[in-house]
Amino acid sequence: MAEAGARLAVTWSERARAFRKEIFPYLRYMAQSGFPAFLSLLFIASAIGYFGLIRDVPPDFPLIEVGVVFLTPVLCWSPLRTWLAPADVVYLMPREHEMNVYLNRSLRYSVIWSSILAAAVFLLYVPVYQRGGGENDVWLLAVALLLLKGAGHYGAWRERRMSWGAARIFFRLGRWLLTAGVIGAWLLYPEWQAALFMFICMALLAAAYRLPRNQRFPWERLIQEEERTRKRYYSAFGMFIDVPVVSASIARRPYLSWLLPRIRYGQNHAYVYLYAASLIRTEIGGILIRLLLLGGLVSYWAADAATLEGWGAAISYAIFAFVMTLQLGGLRYVNRYTVWKNIYPLPLDGQREQFARLDRAALLTGLSILWLPASLPLLLGGYYVAPISIAAAMLIYVLAIRPARLRRKLMLEAEED
Amino acid sequence: MERMLDVMNKMDKVLQVSGLTGGYSPKRPVLHEIEFSIRPGEMVGLIGLNGAGKSTTIKHILGLLTPQQGEVEVAGVRLAQHPEKYRSAFAYVPESPVLFDELTVEEHLRLAGMAYGVPGQDYETRAEELLIEFQMVPKRRAFAAHLSKGMRQKVMIMSALLASPPLYIIDEPFLGLDPLGIRSLLDRLVEVKRSGAAILMSSHILSTVEAYCDSFIVMHQGRIAAQGKLENIRSAAGFQEGTGSLEDAFYRLVAGGES
Repeated sequence: MAEAGARLAVTWSERARAFRKEIFPYLRYMAQSGFPAFLSLLFIASAIGYFGLIRDVPPDFPLIEVGVVFLTPVLCWSPLRTWLAPADVVYLMPREHEMNVYLNRSLRYSVIWSSILAAAVFLLYVPVYQRGGGENDVWLLAVALLLLKGAGHYGAWRERRMSWGAARIFFRLGRWLLTAGVIGAWLLYPEWQAALFMFICMALLAAAYRLPRNQRFPWERLIQEEERTRKRYYSAFGMFIDVPVVSASIARRPYLSWLLPRIRYGQNHAYVYLYAASLIRTEIGGILIRLLLLGGLVSYWAADAATLEGWGAAISYAIFAFVMTLQLGGLRYVNRYTVWKNIYPLPLDGQREQFARLDRAALLTGLSILWLPASLPLLLGGYYVAPISIAAAMLIYVLAIRPARLRRKLMLEAEED
Repeated sequence: MERMLDVMNKMDKVLQVSGLTGGYSPKRPVLHEIEFSIRPGEMVGLIGLNGAGKSTTIKHILGLLTPQQGEVEVAGVRLAQHPEKYRSAFAYVPESPVLFDELTVEEHLRLAGMAYGVPGQDYETRAEELLIEFQMVPKRRAFAAHLSKGMRQKVMIMSALLASPPLYIIDEPFLGLDPLGIRSLLDRLVEVKRSGAAILMSSHILSTVEAYCDSFIVMHQGRIAAQGKLENIRSAAGFQEGTGSLEDAFYRLVAGGES
């Protein structure tokens, strides 16, 4: 038995190594692409901003809100790399009774990496908290967050085992909300009150976790999760280099799907239709929406405070617009190798033209929406130069520079194919 | 599309494959000197063992592979001559369903309608009819990724039928289909055939092929071992006139066995 367990542990290590080996060449391409330079720039800019902030925390700085917004995700997020593949349902499932050894390796890996991230965020937050007038003892806070982190991992595992998708989502949402509440309590209220609240929440959740039906070992869920993680890696690499085609993960996104039937029916809209569906429902759409929300929030804060006469918001807008543009560029790789592209009776240059049309519409919509929170507070506050400049720059880029570049790229890629 | 069908009816051949030698690599051709044609209103069964060259032949017709020798004409034109005319003349149902994960059943039909230039009004009626006929109404809003293999195959078939082209190229259409699905497909094929469309269908279900097809192409090791009506296949296999089924003849042709 112990020997069989050891063999599974070896399998785990081999798979982890194989994955590292698989992604290494892509990391090298990323390193050569100028992305590290962009990251360093971002790092330097954030470091300057950060040290400026802790030297002189403004009295109206949303101390507690920032703490909750940054600490909640790193405490709740509990990714699990299991390296499981669909074929494991045939080959590893017979050894389910020994899978504990295998899974423990995954859990340990997940706990270590996500705890390092959480610790880093906590260490960055502590000086802000102390200088911003936070009064609670940070050592006690650290212990509480450690407990929350452990509970988060436990909860995430229980959720993975739940048989029904709806229960899983409900519990995950509950866990995130309660964690946010507990963090808020630890930052704001006397320690004993916060501790009491935390233990009540934990007991409540622990009791609730007993209610839904569970699977002994959630094979399908873990395989699906592993597949999604892999896809994320590859869609990130896809921004720098051609990657093997991985089928996209799909979400219905009803709040955007209503747009699809509004695309005019007709041969010269067929590809607009297809790529609009791809944009709305694949991971790219999800990432763009998250970027839009985050970018909107950060730019709004910068605009509301009128940092650097409004140019703070402009910089934040530019950074998020850049990342969103980069992300949208990945859309042309979705369905790149589909057989229908060659079968449908549509000329190739027509396909390119339709794609460029969709790209322009999507980018214009996204960047215009992002412009609102970055600019309205400034315009209302009487700062005109920054918001008008970024609007002008955005329009020139989206309507003139980007379409020409995109067409060139598409032509080049079509020749390569 | 219907006007195109009229033109086709007047034409002699919808599909003409002449002296086709080809495959994936110029060093090792898979197909050798393939020669056949299909007329409007004809249903042709393409049969052969695994690896006989059926799918490679189909890929050449689709224009996904380039012939080393010979040529393929659809609707009287080669792909290089008139890509749009060539491509709008046929619809293709692949062996394993290839759908877009991000589209629902209904959206696939809409995309096919748009791609093939089906007029809006016709699209609405045809899509509705097809959804009902293939028992897919409850699944119309389901994503392709959530469908069973048979249902995915149905979506492929429905998309092809929706386009209503002069030529259908159908690769192993019965895999994974439930009995009702097979029945609906065959009924529909008979119907489109009557309306003048041509069908090239590859399948291993020889009894169905025999019952529904007008003529047959037996492929073996990249060559055509026999082609024509059932009598031609039988006599090529050395059967007396009026004796032996397609299966018997096929067995003798490809395995060299005594049936």
